Amino acid sequence: MTQLTLADEIVVLMLDDTMGEVNQACIAVAGVAIAGGILMELALRENIDTDLKTLFVVNPRQTGDYLLDAILQEIAAEPEQHSSAWWIDQLAVRHDDLLGQILARLVTAGILREEERRFLWVFSRRAYPQVSGREEREAKARLMSVLFNDEVPNPRDTLLLGLARSTDVLSTILSSEQLDKAYDRIEEVAALEEIGRSVGLVSSQIREAMATMLATYH
Amino acid sequence: MEITSRIDGDLVHLRVVGSLDASTSPNVEEAVNAAIGGGRRSVIFDLQELNYISSAGLRALLLAAKKAKAAGGGVAVFGLQPAVTEVFTIAGFGKIVSIASNDADARDKLSGQRG
Repeated sequence: MTQLTLADEIVVLMLDDTMGEVNQACIAVAGVAIAGGILMELALRENIDTDLKTLFVVNPRQTGDYLLDAILQEIAAEPEQHSSAWWIDQLAVRHDDLLGQILARLVTAGILREEERRFLWVFSRRAYPQVSGREEREAKARLMSVLFNDEVPNPRDTLLLGLARSTDVLSTILSSEQLDKAYDRIEEVAALEEIGRSVGLVSSQIREAMATMLATYH
Repeated sequence: MEITSRIDGDLVHLRVVGSLDASTSPNVEEAVNAAIGGGRRSVIFDLQELNYISSAGLRALLLAAKKAKAAGGGVAVFGLQPAVTEVFTIAGFGKIVSIASNDADARDKLSGQRG
């Protein structure tokens, strides 16, 4: 794995360092973030493109990344064109499978290690702690640079910020004072990319649905 | 898509005609790289005849703004068609590039940026 994809990076950022699993604050929208990360990576590699209404294939050539290629093939085979939000919905329901594939490849790449941990003395679960934490530190440093430097952000960092904003990863990186200070910049940069806006929209819908469900049962 | 380039001092004028998307955005990137690499600091995009822009097209303009700013200049656009205006508005792109009413206004906005 030469360069982490945006889907790989958002998984690394969503992992709770102590528990070795997706942070509880992110779990409801983790599938949306992974789906968005895959589509964003395909867009950066110029395999797909989007406009305000549709997501479409512009180059069906294989990327060499099996996860990206499987999704690209699926989009290319779809007879009708759909919006990016529609594709995010479609892919996000496969959250467990996509997350499992990404965790496995991050283990293979030596970025995470896989551990069997016990809880309540009987049950066991798999945990994925980071090996060095370098990849997480680098991704966080890029996010901080986008937020607190007055530079025009590059497209990859713009997209990563859109994912981080939608998953609440930013609240694990920044203090509440820093978040307040960076609020306008976060909104400004996250709005720049169409797939980022769709990830934000679908994430908000999920959070609203969960809040309604909780309010109904309490 | 058709792109024509005109050098004017430390500015380059790029007139983009047709559609700016993933298949045509490399041409814009190439023109911007050539201009900035050749010593130009700012870019004015004449988009009067641009009738469609996708996310990849917008990304090409974002990269142009990044390169121009790094060179000490900026990017201004003018002549936005309604479909392109809608994309710029939703993306909040006016915070990244200067949106001008015409060529002269674009020049004014860029000279203001350079102080």
